[in-house]
Amino acid sequence: MKDTPPAPSSKRSGRSLRTMRRCLLAAAFLLLILTPMLNYYAGITFIQGWYQSLGIGELRLISPLEGLESMLVSRQIYVPLLVGMLAPLVLATLLGRVFCSWVCPISFLAEAVATLRVRISGKNRFHDRLVLAKRLLWFALIGELLLSLILGAPIFVFLSPPGLVGRELMLAVYSHRLAWEGILVVAILLLELLTRRFYCRYFCPLGALLALVGSKRRLLVAHQTDLCTGCGRCAQACPLGLRPNLGETRTAYCWNCGVCIESCQTLALHFTWQTSKPLSKKTGSEHGSMPLPRSPACPFAQDLIRTAERGSE
Amino acid sequence: MKRRSFLKLLAVLPTTALTAGLHEVQAGLFRSPVRTNHLRPPGAVAEEVFVGKCIRCGRCVESCPYHCIDLLDIRHGVHAGTPLIAVADIPCYLCMRCVEVCPTGTLQPVAQEATRMGTAVINKFTCGAWLGLALCRTCYDACPFKEKAIVLRELMPIVIREACTGCGLCTHACPITAPDQTKAINIEPPTKGAAA
Repeated sequence: MKDTPPAPSSKRSGRSLRTMRRCLLAAAFLLLILTPMLNYYAGITFIQGWYQSLGIGELRLISPLEGLESMLVSRQIYVPLLVGMLAPLVLATLLGRVFCSWVCPISFLAEAVATLRVRISGKNRFHDRLVLAKRLLWFALIGELLLSLILGAPIFVFLSPPGLVGRELMLAVYSHRLAWEGILVVAILLLELLTRRFYCRYFCPLGALLALVGSKRRLLVAHQTDLCTGCGRCAQACPLGLRPNLGETRTAYCWNCGVCIESCQTLALHFTWQTSKPLSKKTGSEHGSMPLPRSPACPFAQDLIRTAERGSE
Repeated sequence: MKRRSFLKLLAVLPTTALTAGLHEVQAGLFRSPVRTNHLRPPGAVAEEVFVGKCIRCGRCVESCPYHCIDLLDIRHGVHAGTPLIAVADIPCYLCMRCVEVCPTGTLQPVAQEATRMGTAVINKFTCGAWLGLALCRTCYDACPFKEKAIVLRELMPIVIREACTGCGLCTHACPITAPDQTKAINIEPPTKGAAA
């Protein structure tokens, strides 16, 4: 049996997590390009639509906020619509806002912008220039629903950025033109230069709804205090500006992207499946964690960080 | 002019302009894009409900094998992203695929002959047959429900409103185009409150 030091293995697991997420994001984006092309040019209609309503064969997945808006504004309940909303809602209840971080085309584009930015500037970390209150997210959801009800017309259905990406790609294939509202996507990507995931953090009503549904989620990023050295790399890495070293991954705001896990040098952060009763926030970080090497890793931690820092310089 | 009246004018003018402008913007924001020869897909709910019920997912557009359904953009205000058929360009062949895929019930299952996207209306001042210029019966030949929806009386086409589905095949086929781009037979959208 080989004796592997914890740091490289942690890096490896983090790396594979990042590769997995990026692959899924790219595949989800590729689906948006390929679907209209297959439909238009090849006549293959097995998969249709985008992340507002995705049809795979007879299965229909409907974005929960769009469905909710439709039912609220028209004041009618349509059962097939509810059935279509069920799967995304169950996913959000169990795994949280994973749609945002693992599937959403805006996330893909934002990540692409971030990668380009690293390539161009050569810098590795960027400061968030404008940091607002996190709870703005809830006001975005409430405000959006109220505005829709006041106007009597749903707003998010035609201005939803993830939906817009799909609609623009479909329009480009079907009618060889783009719609003006696509500027919104460009604006969101420009805001990315100001603060990472600025729109997703504070203004996305769909993200807010998914976060609300997933506030009691099963999949969590757990923090093991005895392994943590308090280096703050996770807080630097978090695209949402959370501080995993203070247990903020257990709040409703975390979207389970796993970037903090990949950034952690001492294996203090890892995904955990919370099975039984919900734990209180104070004691939460100790419980429900996977069995991991505990104290033996501690003496190494400082040395590992030092070597890692030396390596990066 | 007295200073008081001048100041009054200064206050009143922008306010009026703003109100008028806002009214115009608001009207533009909510104006329905449905008009002559521009119709909702088959089985659509009443136009007042349509804007709230449709989630703009574009499934109807993708499923249409004739590519007759187009998506509106933000220039149509709150109707952005809703489907519209310009029957003069490509009519609806009533294949009902869009109805099957609609996830919200905005397009509701309806039999082909029971579809009411609108009603064909013949413009007797431009129609060649009615003017006596030609023995034209193009609309009659194009109609999928001929002898029910369009009949010939003394070689002149007549629309039976009760049986017309508003599919627009006649409009598309009509050889006569007036200077205002209307045909000699046009589809008028359903009247307010009526479901298609």
